[in-house]
Amino acid sequence: MRYSLSVPTSSRLERSPASGLLLGLVITLAVVVAYSAYIRVQLAGLRKLQSDMVDRGRKDSLQLLRLQNDLNTVALAMRDMLDAGEPYPLVAWSAQFDRVRGDLDSALRLEEQYAEVHRTPEQRAYLSQQLSQFWDAVDRIFLLARAGKETEARDQIRLSLQARQAALSTTVSRLLIENNEAEQQADAQIENIYNGVQRQLYIFLTAALIAIALTSLYLIRSNRQIFARLAALSAQRSDLAQKLIATQESTLRHISRELHDEFGQVLTAIGSLLSRVEKQVPQGAPLREDLREVREIAQSTLNNIRSLSQALHPVLLDEQGLESTLDWYIPMVERQTGLKLHYEKSGAAYPVDATASVQVYRVLQEALNNVKRHAGAQEAWVRLQFQNDSISLEVEDHGKGFSPDAGHQGIGLVGMRERAELVGGTLQVFRREGGGTIVRLVVPAEKVEAHGG
Amino acid sequence: MKRREFLSGSASAGLLGLAWPGLLHATSAAPSFRFADVTQHAGIQFQHNSGAYGGKLLPETLGSGCAFLDYDADGWQDILLINGMDWPGHKRQRSTLRLYRNDRNGTFTDVTKAAGLDVEIYGMGVAVGDYNNDGFPDIFATCVGQNRLFRNTGKGTFLDVTRPSGLSARQAFSTSALWFDYDRDGLLDLFVCNYVRWSPEHDVFCSLDGKHKSYCTPEAYRGDTCWLFHNRGDGTFEDVTATSGVFDSSSKSLGVAMLDYDQDGWPDLLVANDTQPNKLYKNLRNGKFKDVAVEAGLAFSTEGKARAGMGVDIGDFENSGDPGIAITNFDNEMIGLYRAVRTGTYDDISIAAGVGLPSKNTLGFGCAFLDVDLDGSLDLAVTNGHIEETVRNIHGNVGYAQPPQLFLNQGGKFQDVAADVNGDFAQPKIGRGLAYGDFDRDGDLDILLTTNNGPAYLYRNDQLAGNRSIRFRLTGTKSNRDAVGALLRIFYDGQSQSQMVKTGSSYLSQSELPLTFGLGTRDKIERAQIEWPSGVKEEFKNLAAGKSYHCTESKGFTPSAGF
Repeated sequence: MRYSLSVPTSSRLERSPASGLLLGLVITLAVVVAYSAYIRVQLAGLRKLQSDMVDRGRKDSLQLLRLQNDLNTVALAMRDMLDAGEPYPLVAWSAQFDRVRGDLDSALRLEEQYAEVHRTPEQRAYLSQQLSQFWDAVDRIFLLARAGKETEARDQIRLSLQARQAALSTTVSRLLIENNEAEQQADAQIENIYNGVQRQLYIFLTAALIAIALTSLYLIRSNRQIFARLAALSAQRSDLAQKLIATQESTLRHISRELHDEFGQVLTAIGSLLSRVEKQVPQGAPLREDLREVREIAQSTLNNIRSLSQALHPVLLDEQGLESTLDWYIPMVERQTGLKLHYEKSGAAYPVDATASVQVYRVLQEALNNVKRHAGAQEAWVRLQFQNDSISLEVEDHGKGFSPDAGHQGIGLVGMRERAELVGGTLQVFRREGGGTIVRLVVPAEKVEAHGG
Repeated sequence: MKRREFLSGSASAGLLGLAWPGLLHATSAAPSFRFADVTQHAGIQFQHNSGAYGGKLLPETLGSGCAFLDYDADGWQDILLINGMDWPGHKRQRSTLRLYRNDRNGTFTDVTKAAGLDVEIYGMGVAVGDYNNDGFPDIFATCVGQNRLFRNTGKGTFLDVTRPSGLSARQAFSTSALWFDYDRDGLLDLFVCNYVRWSPEHDVFCSLDGKHKSYCTPEAYRGDTCWLFHNRGDGTFEDVTATSGVFDSSSKSLGVAMLDYDQDGWPDLLVANDTQPNKLYKNLRNGKFKDVAVEAGLAFSTEGKARAGMGVDIGDFENSGDPGIAITNFDNEMIGLYRAVRTGTYDDISIAAGVGLPSKNTLGFGCAFLDVDLDGSLDLAVTNGHIEETVRNIHGNVGYAQPPQLFLNQGGKFQDVAADVNGDFAQPKIGRGLAYGDFDRDGDLDILLTTNNGPAYLYRNDQLAGNRSIRFRLTGTKSNRDAVGALLRIFYDGQSQSQMVKTGSSYLSQSELPLTFGLGTRDKIERAQIEWPSGVKEEFKNLAAGKSYHCTESKGFTPSAGF
């Protein structure tokens, strides 16, 4: 049943979650890349706007303010020049005008550089034309003043220079207003860009969050499936192993019985027959000797068969229980292997059902086998404890020991674990302090009794 | 809890940081000298009369100046204090400028009347110079209205020669002035700063609270040009303002200092303007000047703002040979302390040098570079005081009376030690004028300062650590007799110092003409080099500290025993 169930499960599992995850990653990355590109474009636009429009506009405005300030200074100077109470001749102001002229020229040069972006060539030419006309008028006035024509020069200031100054001032004011408007427009554009970027940022964040959430959900689901499948596989494997063990035990028991019962009977019968026939053959006859040999061979075969039967499945287990089996088994192992075994029993023994007994017996067998084959130890300790709630079996050696965490676990160890699980018990294998290994099997008493029931 | 501990820890670390300057102050800056207020003892009983009667007329807030001068040429510095007077129609008292003769024993005698100076003028500043080369210093007092020139007769009296000298043609609101020989003809010429176009009839109504009249800032008035008068050598002066290039009707000038900013041997002028760009008039060596303040970096603050310049002085405070500059400004404007990054170009280093922040909330007027502790580097003394009595109501951190400041030069960093020099020097005052001179001839520089509508103060400098000095009195023969414009350099141990003989500087005031060089504990210098305004160069070797040397152009020197 389990096998038939597991077929569709495994076919579904062949679709790895990696492709889904990859898709999620690609989508997330694509969103990030797309957004980065978008931001780059927006920032470049913003930078261009700020450097070209706003910064240049502001620098331009500063220069325009400088022009305006110079023009105001000129206006004040002209007012002073026309002041009747002023004791100085008009030429006295020429140094002041020269200074302002130097500053105006420098301001105008800078202004033209900054204004390049957002002013037509005609507009730019207009301001410098106005200025040069103004300075021409100034020069004419100082020429008149130097020639002693103060009154005429003053009239020129009133008629021409003040008007030109006012016109220039108006032009500069208008440019300032234009700059201000351009700046406001640029501000609005910048505001729009910021708003757009903000909107896009929310969209990006939402998209990225959705992609991450979907990928995560998919990952969780895949993980769950994988773990479920792993658990199922593990259960299947365990089931299989236990079935294998059960099958093996029943087969061994069957063979052991067959050997003991069938071949034992036959060989016993052959032995009896041979014994009877032998008695009928006269003493000293060569046949009698042959018959004795055949009988001894039969006896030896019988012994071997019995021994094999015991080894495959001690009949003692079924007939006299675990405790007695161990009493018999441990001295036999000592004899067979040459290991010195210290056998300690404690607690009041109670009957253990046959199935459980076999598993305990097999664990002991495997553990001692390991001591013999791998530990390189000459002696071992076997402890059997009957406690109220459990039976515990411990095999301890002082040999080389082994790492219980080593990746490679012998099939024997796996078998021992499976057997422990089969009877609802636990198997612990750990390194003994000071060298050697301890194998401990603990089987809950209730399981043992339940089995016994 | 942890966060709170962290915060309190960092806060205490911050407090520790704040406490550091104080700690340094307490440990490192015990000045090696003390001031003693000897005003009373010296017999200086002066009260400035601003004429204030409640009309809040603009000139009331700005006076007045003071000077150290040796009017009787006896080698002892006398004191001149400029005074205002009551306004017409509000006459309550008679007040005149005051001349105090040095009695050579630490006291002074008021000789105003005997000297013929007990005249009532609305005086502002003073420039002292021997314009007629007769060996006796003459006095030019700037006024609101008509400035006055008092010629020293050499017999202990002065004659008002304003009219015959040709200086009576111009009337204005004059402030600082200085004598200098811009054409190097051996005759001192006169430069006069004018503030704004003001007359009592045209006083503008300004108010801080919208109800009561207060003193106006200069924005309310039109500027006025400074004047340059050329000394014809016959006792008369020619107004060359219009032709020399210093004419500028937008200036609102309060302070002026002479310097040779481009080191070409021709004296240039630095004019501190209130709310207008400062002017640096470069001497073009042909009787003309050109304003190069913008190019030199002196016209505006580093933020590009025209500050409210008040007083100005120059001094080689780095001993680099290039003169540095200090300009005092309004409150919320720091003192401008400029060093020459290369000859002719200046950087304002006031913040880095430690002068900027302490002067942020003070309104500085008089200022002077002087080596007050005689350690060999020029220090900076500044008087402060606001123009508006009610200023604290508007700016809580700015007072009407403000402590003077004394910035000790400690290897290029300045530290105000005014509070540590005793003599109540740091008592808040409505300070205006400031001058220095060695009135007791002990080799160190004493300080005279004036207050608006208040007394004048004389602080005697007493050295504690035994620092010594060397003093020079220069007399020109081919050059102008006062040797104004002479550059003196001294050399010792691979170091040098330089000072120029100058009039003017500070605010409305003038310090003594002899030069004092601090030498620390040295007992001699290797040589002294004089570049006379005439172009003559002289050098003297192995001069001893603790002496005053009288150098006469091309005629060697005579040391005096002591100062």
